[in-house]
Amino acid sequence: MRSYIIKRLIYSVIIAWAILTITFILLRVGPTSPVDRYILNIAAKGQDVESVKQAIEARYGLDKPIIEQYFIYMGNLLQGKWGWSFSASMPVMELIGSHWIYSFQLILLATIFAIVLGVGTGMLSAVKRNTKFDYAASFLSFIGISIPGFWLGLMLILVFAVYLGVFKTYYDTRFPIWSLENLKQLILPVITLGTGELAGYVRYTRSAMLDNLRKEFVTTARAKGLPERIVIGKHVFRNAILPLVTIIMFDLGSIVFGGAYLTEIVFGIPGLGQVSFNAIFANDYAVVVAVTLIGTFLVLFINLATDVFYTYLDPRIRYE
Amino acid sequence: MVLLLGCAGPQAEGNFIEGDVAGGEAETLNWILAADASSFGYVGYTLESLATYDNQFNIVPRCLAKDIEVSPDGLVYTITIRNDLKWSDGSQVTSEDYVYTLKNLMFSSWLNYNYRDDWEEEVDGQKVFVTPKVVNDIAFMLTRQTVQPEFVYTLYDLTPYPKYIATKYEGNVDAFTQAKEFNELSYTGNLGPYKFKEWLKNDKFVVARNPDFFLGKDTGAPFFQEYIIKMFGTSAVMQAALEAGDITYCGIEPQNVVKFKKIDRINVYTVPTRGYNIISYNQRANGWEGLRKREVRQALSMAIDKDTIAKKIYLGFAEPAYSFIPSSSPWYSDETVLKLGVAPLNNKQKAVEMLKAAGYEYKENGERDVLLDKNGKPVKLSLVTTPGSDVVESMSLLIKQELAGIGIEVEVKWVQWPTLLRQYMMNKVQGSDQEPRYNNGPQAVSEEPWDITLMGHNTDPLAPSGSRVFFASDGGLNSFGFFNDNVDALFKKIRSKNGLDKGDRKKMYSELARLISEEQPVDFIVYTRANRGFQNNVKGIEPGINMGYNYHMWRFE
Amino acid sequence: MNKGLALFLKKITGPFYINRRLAKYYLDRLKKNKLSLAGLGFIVLLALVGIFGPLFVKDPQKSDFNINNLPPLGFSIQESVYDIKTDTFTTKVIAGRPDHPLGTDSKGRDMLAMLVSGARISLFVGLLATGIAIFLGTFIGVLSAYLGGWADNVMMRFTDVMMTFPFFLLLVLIVFIFGPSLAIIVLVIGLTGWTGAARLIRSEALSLRTRDFVTASKALGASDARVMFMHLIPNVISLVIVMATLSIPGVIMAEAALSFIGLGDPMSTSWGTILNAGQHSLDTAWWVAVEPGIMLFFTVLAFNFFGDGLRDAFDPKADI
Repeated sequence: MRSYIIKRLIYSVIIAWAILTITFILLRVGPTSPVDRYILNIAAKGQDVESVKQAIEARYGLDKPIIEQYFIYMGNLLQGKWGWSFSASMPVMELIGSHWIYSFQLILLATIFAIVLGVGTGMLSAVKRNTKFDYAASFLSFIGISIPGFWLGLMLILVFAVYLGVFKTYYDTRFPIWSLENLKQLILPVITLGTGELAGYVRYTRSAMLDNLRKEFVTTARAKGLPERIVIGKHVFRNAILPLVTIIMFDLGSIVFGGAYLTEIVFGIPGLGQVSFNAIFANDYAVVVAVTLIGTFLVLFINLATDVFYTYLDPRIRYE
Repeated sequence: MVLLLGCAGPQAEGNFIEGDVAGGEAETLNWILAADASSFGYVGYTLESLATYDNQFNIVPRCLAKDIEVSPDGLVYTITIRNDLKWSDGSQVTSEDYVYTLKNLMFSSWLNYNYRDDWEEEVDGQKVFVTPKVVNDIAFMLTRQTVQPEFVYTLYDLTPYPKYIATKYEGNVDAFTQAKEFNELSYTGNLGPYKFKEWLKNDKFVVARNPDFFLGKDTGAPFFQEYIIKMFGTSAVMQAALEAGDITYCGIEPQNVVKFKKIDRINVYTVPTRGYNIISYNQRANGWEGLRKREVRQALSMAIDKDTIAKKIYLGFAEPAYSFIPSSSPWYSDETVLKLGVAPLNNKQKAVEMLKAAGYEYKENGERDVLLDKNGKPVKLSLVTTPGSDVVESMSLLIKQELAGIGIEVEVKWVQWPTLLRQYMMNKVQGSDQEPRYNNGPQAVSEEPWDITLMGHNTDPLAPSGSRVFFASDGGLNSFGFFNDNVDALFKKIRSKNGLDKGDRKKMYSELARLISEEQPVDFIVYTRANRGFQNNVKGIEPGINMGYNYHMWRFE
Repeated sequence: MNKGLALFLKKITGPFYINRRLAKYYLDRLKKNKLSLAGLGFIVLLALVGIFGPLFVKDPQKSDFNINNLPPLGFSIQESVYDIKTDTFTTKVIAGRPDHPLGTDSKGRDMLAMLVSGARISLFVGLLATGIAIFLGTFIGVLSAYLGGWADNVMMRFTDVMMTFPFFLLLVLIVFIFGPSLAIIVLVIGLTGWTGAARLIRSEALSLRTRDFVTASKALGASDARVMFMHLIPNVISLVIVMATLSIPGVIMAEAALSFIGLGDPMSTSWGTILNAGQHSLDTAWWVAVEPGIMLFFTVLAFNFFGDGLRDAFDPKADI
């Protein structure tokens, strides 16, 4: 087991390195450049674009050959120096440090929301199959996976914040993270982000439960006289959970930068999604690579943790 | 008794929240490194410049003790600042600070200030900086060798760096860039109505009331506890926030103005702006040769109806433009410009006749006659522009429709911004190994052929000669290749001692506007109006083109 | 080569048509799911509209500012134009017209024509991108499973890298750098979305590999390629079909999301592009946002219903 974990860690580092390099290359070698944004401003004021361009590039070390820049950058990364973001005028680490919590709370809450409500509804659906509840849940979950997240967010704001005035139209960072007001203003974004996954979990749990309900061990358990609650909750569920964990983990990876970004934009939540995309538009490669690094490590870590967790869930699984 | 309290003005309370869309966020508070207007704007909340302008373009002194004195020969500028300005450490702001900022920072080669051109003049073919010199604690002077009557407007925007802090970082760009004091504006003392409080990128920029503000002594200004600029990801949500009362002010898009005007709680002010749009005609060798003829350009501009554009695209929030001088400018004069594109000079039939008179023929083709070029082929013009702005997209398609009305087919090409700049606007002489620039002289051509592009521009109503970047033969943005000696001469005259007299200058601008409107190197389309929405409890607003000039007097009631 | 291709195709469809009872069995199971059939019906309708529709409607690219912002037939809207000189508004009531039954957008383009051409684009993007992704995924998955050992390891590690790369971030990055054209969007989605398919297919193929018919084939002297193409692939085909059907809605939504943040192809009339333009005028020209939104929603829903039904139909364990 231990050697497996070590092997995986080594793989993770290599994968992370590969991804970083690809990101760096894309940003630095592509036809766009950080100076593009100001060129017209400068030219319009009658200034000489070429000399300004050279000055800006020299200031940020962009005029050295790409290979040199790459090694300088990688070297700095290894030493923990993540560089200076020229589009935000602050150290990259400070930029990320001040924004990560907003993404994190959003993603965590949305995932919990989706899991609790989704799996719960799925289980109930399976137990009460073919009842009105089941049909309703199924139908609603189809709708849930078909609505585009950004659209849902916009609609929720228009209805609940503008029309009904129950919530504020935007996320206010004034409130401390651990406060009731903060929780309240996270309700709409969490619903927006979590609905897609939630719907998926309902359906998945339902079908996984149904699969297992037919198995022999269930009949045996019932024959033993165990209360239905324990049969379902303990035995059936534990068997269904393994693949469910895979799906949850996969979802986590995909919403981290996809759905979360769109939600952040619509609700004005200053998380890493916003930071990374604004950095892309500004060609601020230091920030983009840093954020990609974080996301990558997060996903790799979750993968590894899940694989290890599998061994607890299902003793039959072994790695060497 | 209690009436011993000094100022009886309004109390300071409440937070003013301004909404802005994500793309407009400032880049840095270390303004000397910035190239974007927002950065200067953010800094301005904490640091006043020498003077500002009201809506009628009268000079309103801020850090100036009295107006700038210009010597009769136009070469020496004497600036006297107030004596009650202090940095955060209590020391007085002196002319030393200003001169240091100019000589050691803005003019330095280690820092490379982006807008240094404003402070340079050409002497004997060389570019040199103007000479600053301290006169006494509160006065300094700037000496030029050539006359430039509009240089004074550059001066009004001047803001100092504190010498006692800047000397620590002098010579070291990295240290200067990362200097905490400069990035957190912790040195601003009593120089601004607000003091920097916090800045969470992509979220909000917060400044807090400065009780020491030098203009607040008598008035009690400013009257908000905090001034907050909140960033929104989409303008739809920003406008929803205004409607719900969650923010105090934001810009409103034309199609939503009617709705907001109906809301009692909100006041919408429609004000002129500095922005205008132009269609540039490529007169270089790789555009349609017809564009090199003045009559052809005039005909095209005649066919593009400006009122239609104002109505259809801006819903009326725009007025037709005929020159680079907006109607709000003191140099504006209406009489002599050629008003193409509005009645009576918007007659498509007349445009067709002009084209025929210029030697071009039409061929019948179904319901509409088609214009033929000198080779007998139907004329097809390429309109190159960038996607992403609804207004630009609409305008491109509308121009296409209008020109189809005189038998010219237009193909709209959408390219990304950097591509537009590099392959269409930058040019060089073919076969040479010149570095491509936006204007490499009359023989230069761009990499890709094009005929028309759309550009948006901001003009300075007080010093419109800044537009020479477009129209002078050595203009840095003259990518469309317009070279006219009379125009060059006039620009030169304005920026010389002949322009010192304001009456003369106005005449010269008039003549320039007339010339350019007749030559039509570009078609000036419209000057846009902005709609600014405020919650109606904000008092003290004077709507106009510079309505922000007295923002420190705004208050809630 | 041609003969081989024909044989291959026959092998895929063969099982369904040689063994009619099997085909009928699957079809019956499918038919039981009413929602699934409804989904299929919608998809077929959409395909017909997409393929033949453009012949019957106006040119979606033709803009006419004389008739812009027309509401759909049966609705009317107030249009106000401001007059600078008098500081007043002139308001007109504009009613929908039969020659533009679904109204026009702010540039005077016919909504019906745009929606029809949007159907074509969405289907095209969905099918092509999914096609590329699934093809790549199947190919790599089967190859990897079959070759095993060192080659398998390398390919799976490469898959890991691609999988760990934050998908949406990569999408935005590439589109930003190389320009927002439909071709690039399709390519990027296709070239990054194959990882899920590869993994799933590989595990299926792995379990199949050990089955007798493969051993028998090899014993009879079949070459590696032959075994792979003729035996493994046809057996995973049902899995592939289900995956493909369920991926299409995701692709369509990804394209819409890209348009929403401004990276869509501005000259295309995909639903996402229209939706993005329409979000600014929800009060004044609501149909520009609502119509494509509805189309997107129902299309995604239809694919989900149908794909779900397919999965149940093919799954021997599902109890229909």
